[in-house]
Amino acid sequence: MMQAMQACFVLHTRDYRDSSLLVDLFTCDQGIMRVIANGAKRPRSPMRGVLQPFLPLLAHWSGKGELQTLRGAEIHGTPYYLQGATLLSCFYLNELLVRLLHHYDPHPGLFRAYHQTLAFLQNKQHSAADKEGRLRLFEKVLLQEIGYALQLDQEAHSGSAILADCNYRFSPEIGLVLQAQRPSQDLARWVFSGKSLLALHQSELDDADCLRDAKRLMRLALAPLLGDKPMRSRELFVVG
Amino acid sequence: MTFSPLLDQLIQGLRCLPGVGPKSAQRMAFHLLERDRDGGKHLADALLQALEHVGHCRLCRTFSEDELCLLCRHQGRELHKLCIVETPADLLAIEQTGTYRGRYFVLLGHLSPLDGIGPEDIGLPALQQRITQEAIQEIILAMSTTVEGEATAHYITEMIKGVKTSISRIAHGIPLGGDLEYIDSRTLAHAFESRLLLSSSSVAE
Repeated sequence: MMQAMQACFVLHTRDYRDSSLLVDLFTCDQGIMRVIANGAKRPRSPMRGVLQPFLPLLAHWSGKGELQTLRGAEIHGTPYYLQGATLLSCFYLNELLVRLLHHYDPHPGLFRAYHQTLAFLQNKQHSAADKEGRLRLFEKVLLQEIGYALQLDQEAHSGSAILADCNYRFSPEIGLVLQAQRPSQDLARWVFSGKSLLALHQSELDDADCLRDAKRLMRLALAPLLGDKPMRSRELFVVG
Repeated sequence: MTFSPLLDQLIQGLRCLPGVGPKSAQRMAFHLLERDRDGGKHLADALLQALEHVGHCRLCRTFSEDELCLLCRHQGRELHKLCIVETPADLLAIEQTGTYRGRYFVLLGHLSPLDGIGPEDIGLPALQQRITQEAIQEIILAMSTTVEGEATAHYITEMIKGVKTSISRIAHGIPLGGDLEYIDSRTLAHAFESRLLLSSSSVAE
């Protein structure tokens, strides 16, 4: 049975047989799913050039079982032109999604956030710092959606409000714990100022310190979920 | 039902080729045995020789049985130009145009974080070394027009920023003999963005 076209993005493609592709889609209604695109690499295939990451698509598929067959895909809306460092950031988003989401686990909220983040990143008027802040906010939404939301406005033990002028230690399974004394050297990387935490809570990462802290916090929060395998797209940023 | 284990082995062996399923493998095997045993022997010999001896060129990384491939050894090539391509097939395609007389570097892939392919896997440290050692004046990036190709081009540009060379990338645009109305909108948009200036006399005059 043919279903209606659904909004989706291609996260990744890999070659399959001579002229086909296995495509990982991030769909609005079904989350991540893998489809096979028969003949998509043939010179005259209408899907050539369309099945690329970061293009807003409408697609439909059919089939029984886990691996569905892609029946058609077209670009929906203005395609994004991503270049340079922005493109690498977008690869990072895709790697996060592929690593952290389960197949057929829908996250419409995350899908919207992904779409908006891509739109924001491709806009050349936004500064590099703004774009970086936007990546942190996407990570925040991602953690929320997969059930690891950070409680950024409450102290974990007492439940009292986070105060801008106190320091807090992040502990992955508990949350943010008040750190009264000065932390020792090896503990320092787990400690954050209340100001940065509240900034991230309110999604207002305008100041450079808050931005740096947000990055450190997100890395610590994501690390146990990502496991031992390093994020390959992060390596691409270390240049020169 | 099988009547010859050796024949089965041959058919099974042929199936390692891309695009060859059981039926075509069987047809090939029968053809070799029935009509062209000499050709088959020749093929077997060439296969063995190539698999045994062909490695990668030390300079450009394309396939070669010697330390340096014929292109890198060729005296007539322009030494100050370097074209970076993804595969040996891309290199051949450019060679067939006959317009480029410089030398090459073959990445044997492109950056693809989701496949776990990083800069080391496509020989970028070797490329950087080569660019800093040789007096190259122009680097031409000839990557495919995918996001991975774009990312690879960006990474290389960043990597060699400090080196004194000009870096260009091949144009994206409309294929020759193509009617505009049948061209996909992204290619057309790209062609518009990188349009060529033909004459620049000012409108105000």
